[in-house]
Amino acid sequence: MNTGNGMRLGPFEVFLPPELSSPRLRHPAEPGFPGRLFVVEGIDGSGKSTQLSLLHKWLESKGYGVVFSTWNSSELVKDTTKLGKKKKMLTPATFSLIHATDFADRVERNILPLLKAGAVVLCDRYIYTAFARDVARCMDRRWVRDLYGFAARPAVAFYFRVPLETAIGRLTTARDGFKFYEAGLDLGLSDDPTESFRLFQGRILDEYEKMIPEFGLTVIDATLPVETQQAQVRQIVQTHLDRARNLRVRP
Amino acid sequence: MRQTYGKTLPGMKLSDLAGKLIVVEGTDCAGRTTQINMLRPWLEEQGHAVLDTGMTRSTLAGEGIRRAKETNNLGRVTQSLFYATDFVDRLENEVMPALRAGFIVLTDRYIYSLMARASVRGMEPAWIRGIYSAALVPDAVFYLRLDVEQLIPRVIFSRGFDYWESGMDVFPGQDMYESFRAYQSALLAEFDRLSVEFNFETIDASADAKVVFAQLQAKIQRVLDGDAHREPSFADEASRREYLRQAFDYAAAASLRRSPDPSFQHPVASSSAHGSRAFQPTAAHFSSMNARATFDRK
Repeated sequence: MNTGNGMRLGPFEVFLPPELSSPRLRHPAEPGFPGRLFVVEGIDGSGKSTQLSLLHKWLESKGYGVVFSTWNSSELVKDTTKLGKKKKMLTPATFSLIHATDFADRVERNILPLLKAGAVVLCDRYIYTAFARDVARCMDRRWVRDLYGFAARPAVAFYFRVPLETAIGRLTTARDGFKFYEAGLDLGLSDDPTESFRLFQGRILDEYEKMIPEFGLTVIDATLPVETQQAQVRQIVQTHLDRARNLRVRP
Repeated sequence: MRQTYGKTLPGMKLSDLAGKLIVVEGTDCAGRTTQINMLRPWLEEQGHAVLDTGMTRSTLAGEGIRRAKETNNLGRVTQSLFYATDFVDRLENEVMPALRAGFIVLTDRYIYSLMARASVRGMEPAWIRGIYSAALVPDAVFYLRLDVEQLIPRVIFSRGFDYWESGMDVFPGQDMYESFRAYQSALLAEFDRLSVEFNFETIDASADAKVVFAQLQAKIQRVLDGDAHREPSFADEASRREYLRQAFDYAAAASLRRSPDPSFQHPVASSSAHGSRAFQPTAAHFSSMNARATFDRK
């Protein structure tokens, strides 16, 4: 069955960009992958990581085989990313490519095999983070989407929507100062890190808003109490897991 | 103005790229590095500034790729993207600034090798082409072509079979030799397809390195003269052979010489001084050169 921009293979959807000439990897994907993939998205300070970790605990307590993968965590690639960030060597293009490389390693090594094996995979940030950040850095929208053509489509992508000011308020009380690329200082929007962060995250928010209809992101109001958000998340995840067969459970 | 293969990267200015971008492509052990090591001093003798670059030489990703390859545990998508990172880092930080400064950029492999490798590993050709759509279209691509049968002795008598060159990640479970044959044959078929698609100038790399060098010199000289598409035309087979023989002598002499000699001219370089559009090598082109070459060898 073909949907708008993806090819459905059982529970698993492989990104298929709308244009036929666009790339799709000859995926080893077979129909009926038993695993389920859930991802959380949102700007820094939206509370998505808190929500994902609560979901993780809950799923483990229910006995599911749960695996967790965070953005930028590939053992093979992270030293290169670190080097590029530390030396401020990254351009928008290499920033995009090195993050795609990191993601690819996690997809090939963990995410795909685990989904095939019937695990519940949770990702803190997914391709939508790359789409938002890279386009905010003026990369071509289509090019970035095509770049991630190898990604598995998640069962649910939660988007934790929060106003910029709320997020900044949470962040500035929690830590001091922003990092160079995090604040988008490479773009020269402003010399002041806080102001640059504000402008850059504003662009990212705009991109997320555009992606809600494009990819069917599930919006969670991240200004609500933590417990309320978690209840919503659990309810949605539960309905997906109820429909899933052959999920691994803890031995 | 210089072109890309379709897209441009943020901040990428295509005007004022006055230099020349010359690609040397070919399978492993085809002699690319040997040729570039001969071409660079030859071009510098003529007064050109030269940048030579190649895979995994970027400051950003070179070391990371080498480390990742040591693990023999590098997935095919990850591999492709890691190389793309390396490529774009060199494109933005080395190649484009050098071209802007009027350098001749000699690149040992380009996007085509990366496309061939990805394709042999089962990835959609359109996907990898999309990634490299921001690559600059080079002034010339010289494809040093070698059959698998010609390749094997070179591998045996140099460094032996290597895990990645044998495509052990693509054809696992066989021994290195079987894997090497299968992998390199697949690569070669892909290169042959690309050579048509991207208009490579194919050079038979099974010939002596000096003969290959002479051919490259002649072709590169035409690129530098701003006349890349002009092929030397020969009245008959005998004159073509004579041309190659003379060019060979030039290369032999050049490899023996230590210091630059401005009076020593390659046949093609001297022909442009005559202002003739269709290059017709005659004995006269070579007479002075021959005398010199003979003299130098003594």
